[in-house]
Amino acid sequence: MDIGTLRNIASLAKLKVDDNEADKFVSDFNKMIEYVDVIKSLNTDSIQEDEIYFNHQNFTRPDTVDNNLNRDLLSKIAPEYENGFIVVPKVIET
Amino acid sequence: MKSIVNLKYKEVKDGLNSGEFTSEELTLAYIKRIEENDSKISAFLSFEKEFILGQAKESDKRRKENKPLSEFEGIPIGIKDNICIEGIKTTCASKILENFISPYNASAIEKLISKGFVLFPRLNMDEFAMGSSTENSAYQVTKNPFDTTRIPGGSSGGSAAAVAASFLPISLGSDTGGSIRQPASLCGVYGLKPTYGRVSRYGLVAYASSLDQIGPISNDLQGCSDVLSVLAGKDLRDSTSSSQAISKPEIQNVSLNGLKIGIMKDEGASWDGEIRSKFEETVAYLKSEGAIIKELDFDLLASSIPIYYIIATAECSSNLSRFDGIKFGSRVSNPKSKLEDLYIDSRSQGFGKEVKRRILLGTFSLSSGYYDAYYSKAQKARILIQKKYNEFFKDVDLVLQPTSPTTAFRIGEKTQDPIQMYKADILTTSVNLAGLPALSVPAGLDKNSLPIGLQITGPAFSEERIFSFANALLNNPKLEIKLPEGIS
Repeated sequence: MDIGTLRNIASLAKLKVDDNEADKFVSDFNKMIEYVDVIKSLNTDSIQEDEIYFNHQNFTRPDTVDNNLNRDLLSKIAPEYENGFIVVPKVIET
Repeated sequence: MKSIVNLKYKEVKDGLNSGEFTSEELTLAYIKRIEENDSKISAFLSFEKEFILGQAKESDKRRKENKPLSEFEGIPIGIKDNICIEGIKTTCASKILENFISPYNASAIEKLISKGFVLFPRLNMDEFAMGSSTENSAYQVTKNPFDTTRIPGGSSGGSAAAVAASFLPISLGSDTGGSIRQPASLCGVYGLKPTYGRVSRYGLVAYASSLDQIGPISNDLQGCSDVLSVLAGKDLRDSTSSSQAISKPEIQNVSLNGLKIGIMKDEGASWDGEIRSKFEETVAYLKSEGAIIKELDFDLLASSIPIYYIIATAECSSNLSRFDGIKFGSRVSNPKSKLEDLYIDSRSQGFGKEVKRRILLGTFSLSSGYYDAYYSKAQKARILIQKKYNEFFKDVDLVLQPTSPTTAFRIGEKTQDPIQMYKADILTTSVNLAGLPALSVPAGLDKNSLPIGLQITGPAFSEERIFSFANALLNNPKLEIKLPEGIS
């Protein structure tokens, strides 16, 4: 893993890696990958891709109208809110 | 009232029900102890005194009016800062949720409220529950009450330290790879990670959804058993929650004679010497009481942390994508910010270093070209671990191990090397990967007067068996730990 790959992964994750911490991140990241690489040596041939590992039954709930979270309360947790809408930067360029 | 420092959870419960003290008197005594001592421990991120006292007064009012009461009426319980309480800040010890006031209650919280518990919110933790020392909190480092130069463990470090410091008889934590059991062990208290699906995760801020479970940390066994019985059950808002009932909510008295206990072969070499001796002593005690000890060959143990980190970080990278500065959480923008800049700046400034590291590792293992070698491979290896435990439980009733390979380490000792920090969870992560229940119980002190803990793991939904065994094990007086009275 080099700095270029790290920056690519960071852009997928919507994160910025500052220049002053980039080297440390690359070094830690390589150590982590080296550490988790041990799983490559495990023999998993006996396991099927779709094998289900928990015996939980799937279930559905009745499709009925229930109480929803209160709009006023939700408006209070939004970083910017105006006239019933969450404010975001302009998405469509004109 | 006996000094609260000496009150076990069971005595708190009995004292309230017999009228020896009111919930308000009890709550005020805990508040006093917290106000006098938390500057040395930093267990609470903020202290919601009015909210806490209001609940205690309401509880006393219900009791006075002879309303139908639960047996848990008025019991104080601490809450980790990743479990949502309506109207109270829930930050997960992260800057990105600095101003987040939860608009709803977690299912676990609703259940506690319905039974009359008095909630003490905002116990410190590693940011988004990612860490083993509580040093990853964006706000403060919690200290171990047995030695304040040392970490309390993590990620539920605030929950465990609060109980060990006698700030509370019991608290809630969450456990994804050991985050209830390891701090409970390092702080000399009891901590239960329930079977996956036992407790609803609705309202627990998600880290790794296929591993996360809410559970109790208490100063006695009864507290873990009681609170599990309150929290357990099906919840329509969490499709992975199970309807499997707890058949015997009371802890049963069992004999150790004839019980089959598994221990891991060849594992002791990596544990601290004193932990190994304590473990061997306990095994000898079990044998002397007639238990049958069987050695188990768990060759996958060393791989369990790598498997865990691939799966947990993949899930975290997906779960934490919701923190984008749009609908809630902190937003970093300027008039020239485009949408993409807003996402990147809000996340980059809002998340701490370890959270970013894990999001990046998870994004990497899920990305094109690496998915099969890492994520898919880890999912298959996880099934190997589950099958291995299934095999074990054909031969033994329970598995006994230490909870942590070391006692509490010093603050700052492992922060520069993430891998060393991850290895602190060597004995706990496989239990989450297999979805099993496990309890950490105190098992004496080492020569530095630091607590040692033992982990009891059972088959899925066998919490009652674990409690009964722990209860029998506690007849061995050598395991008892006295919590610190003064904190310096």
